[in-house]
Amino acid sequence: MTKNKPKIVIVDYGVGNLHSLVKAFQFFNADVSVSEEATIVKAADAVVLPGVGSFEAGMRGLKVRDLVGVVKESADADKPMLGICLGAQLMLAKGYEFGEFNGLDIMPGKVVRFPEAKTGDKVPHIGWNSVYAGKEKTWDNSALRNLPQNFNAYFVHSYILVPDSKDQILGLTNYGGYEFCSIMKKGNVYASQFHPEKSGTVGLEIIKNFIQSI
Amino acid sequence: MKNVRIIPRLDIKGPNVVKPVHTEALRVVGNPKELIQRYYREGADEIIYMDIVASLYQRNLDFDLLKSVTDGIFIPFTVGGGIRSIHDINSALRSGADKVAINTFAIHHPEFITEAAKEFGSQCVVLSIEAKKQPNGTWEAYTDGGREPSGVDAVAWAKKGMELGAGEIMITSIDRDGTRRGYDLELIKRITDFAIVPVIVYGGAGSPEQVKNVILEGKADAAAAASVFHYKDFSIGDLKKYLKEENINVRLL
Amino acid sequence: MKIKTLDNQLQYQPKEVVFCRQCVVSNQRPRITFNSDGVCSACEYARKKHNLIDWKKREAELMALCDRYRSKDGGFDVVVPGSGGKDSAYTAHILKTKYGMHPLVVTWAPFEYTDIGWKNFQDFVRSGFTVMSCYQNGDLHRKLAQVAFELKGDAWEPFTFGQKAFAFHMALKFGIPLIFYGENGEVEYGGSTKDADKPFETIEDWETVHFKGAGVDKLAEAGLEMGIFKKGEIGPKTFELYRQPDISAIKKLGAQMHWLSYYRKWVPQENFYYAQKHTGFTVNEDGRSEGTYSKYASLDDKQDGFHFYLAFIKFGIGRATSDAAHEIRDGHITREEGIALVKRYDGEFPKKHFQWFLDYLGITEKHFWEVVDSYRPPHLWEKVNGEWKLKHRVN
Repeated sequence: MTKNKPKIVIVDYGVGNLHSLVKAFQFFNADVSVSEEATIVKAADAVVLPGVGSFEAGMRGLKVRDLVGVVKESADADKPMLGICLGAQLMLAKGYEFGEFNGLDIMPGKVVRFPEAKTGDKVPHIGWNSVYAGKEKTWDNSALRNLPQNFNAYFVHSYILVPDSKDQILGLTNYGGYEFCSIMKKGNVYASQFHPEKSGTVGLEIIKNFIQSI
Repeated sequence: MKNVRIIPRLDIKGPNVVKPVHTEALRVVGNPKELIQRYYREGADEIIYMDIVASLYQRNLDFDLLKSVTDGIFIPFTVGGGIRSIHDINSALRSGADKVAINTFAIHHPEFITEAAKEFGSQCVVLSIEAKKQPNGTWEAYTDGGREPSGVDAVAWAKKGMELGAGEIMITSIDRDGTRRGYDLELIKRITDFAIVPVIVYGGAGSPEQVKNVILEGKADAAAAASVFHYKDFSIGDLKKYLKEENINVRLL
Repeated sequence: MKIKTLDNQLQYQPKEVVFCRQCVVSNQRPRITFNSDGVCSACEYARKKHNLIDWKKREAELMALCDRYRSKDGGFDVVVPGSGGKDSAYTAHILKTKYGMHPLVVTWAPFEYTDIGWKNFQDFVRSGFTVMSCYQNGDLHRKLAQVAFELKGDAWEPFTFGQKAFAFHMALKFGIPLIFYGENGEVEYGGSTKDADKPFETIEDWETVHFKGAGVDKLAEAGLEMGIFKKGEIGPKTFELYRQPDISAIKKLGAQMHWLSYYRKWVPQENFYYAQKHTGFTVNEDGRSEGTYSKYASLDDKQDGFHFYLAFIKFGIGRATSDAAHEIRDGHITREEGIALVKRYDGEFPKKHFQWFLDYLGITEKHFWEVVDSYRPPHLWEKVNGEWKLKHRVN
């Protein structure tokens, strides 16, 4: 008896470029589709929340499509979820880009601008940077399992995740002399500041791990 | 010190990768899909893909071709060539671009930079400037594939472009393009001196030392090159190894 | 004043305008022919050039030729006419470095070097060449240009006389029988193809093809009539450098004028890359040349633009058409792209050196247009809303 492939839905809420993300999932022959329909997202076995752009624009995009509820429910039910870049930022409680806005509050924390870089490095942070585990943290049983410490991933952002709970910090990165959280985990829910679909083979590995965990 | 990006640039005409010199002439040097795959495997941090005749012929780049060459390549693509509208940017993104580079249209319609940044985010908009040194010591920006002098000061334009919302600046030296005689450090320093967004430099890379210098002295955030890679003077891997030995942080595979 | 014309060519222009199916040139170009498929002779030759000619065999002929003429004591053994532009730079340099020759480059000076032309010329010399330059008598040369402009609409013509003749004069003076030009322009660009399979040209061939029926003597004669030359100012030998030397002397020397394009596949774009790499050649400093999209061709002379512009007036074939045509034939651009370029740039007026040109000829702008407009063949031009428009454009 063949097991049906899990349905992965990439949420299209009007922000960001989904092409590479779709390709990355298709690379593993996943059953992946793109949708802005709440019913389809609700029925998904796993949800991917992508996005680039401003916090406010992101929340607005979700609200106008009635997606806020289904995404939160999905996370509450601990369905596998992967938030990327803006998508990851929206998963926190509050965002402070051009004002103060409420996020999805899937994980407690806030999104703030990079503090003044100590080394004069520029914001936005664009390029490859290394991700490492915090002290006493393990990546086993996570989407980062089997990845080497300090693997390189592709970042492009001006705002950073600041989780309330240290337990939810899965990976850290240093930029401009400042250490920030580059990926969060709560159960099956991930919030990744970097773009796995743009991070070459190591990024693909993360996506593969994510798919396998569904 | 943060990682510096090493980016191969492909000048595209029709179905081919070409390599002009001083932005002139169209010698075919390879097949886009093959070269991109090779560079991806060798550890390129991004790919720059420019249709260099789109503005000259007043047409769009071939989005279908773009789609086929970005397939299976999971690093960022910056795509340019005849980008003139929000629709063009959408087409590029849907075909695999992550960022778009805009030159000719932006010089004639600077407000387009702001429009594009608002719609897609600054990080998606790269202002591409092709600069030629003038006898009076300044640099003039050129459009239409390095053929039309615009009357605009290239350095001032870079500053303005940033203010208008460009997320990155890609600065090309027409004088050095294709010559492998080294980047135009003077030009580059003028821009990196004030640039608060990342600066990608291009035009003239001929040796690993020159790439090192443009990073250390020129303060480039990303170094793009074409001839040295297309003609196989040295590989991306070899270059990165050298830079690492010179204490420059680069992502190694 | 009634403006006469000495230009033989104009009599032969077909009244019906037809464009080549493969490139962008029309049948108005003098001496061009079209085959039954509507493809021009230059395109046909290009097809041969790229597909049928055994270039290895041709190169072997070149090597044998060089072996015969190569000096053993480092003396000059080949005359290469040129200006330091991409084509002559390539020709001189490759003869020297690949085929072991000792070129004496001879330059018949342009009317007035452009800045970029002078720079390229100097860089060429610096890269390792001996050059004999002839700076024509400034006063007489200019007067010839004036006559040529009045009578043929093309002030550039006096240049073409010496371009060929001077090389032969130098060959004679130095006792060097081998002369090497770059390309056989007739064959490559759509003129007479009678020499397509010949490695060299005879001196008798010149007059009809290149002087359009009136060599320097006819210009001088007309100039006297017009009062541009004063009686006694010129004598039979005044313009000796503008005409071929004594034929018997040439025959005695055994001088031969070969084309490199016979021996090596001629691709102007590749000449550009070569010259850029080896002789410091660099492109037009303010972007594309006026009237075209290209940056690497015909950069030396402030008069160049007007020569091309007159061709546009007389034949409807401007600079962009010329550039696009050979780039199509060499496969660098498609016909559609060529058409787009012609549409965009062909016939653009070369205003950069216009004032210089008027001053050089000592004419007013009004007179310039009087002369130029008189050369617009009615079968090519019409006035639309007070503006001259070509009746036929390639599409």
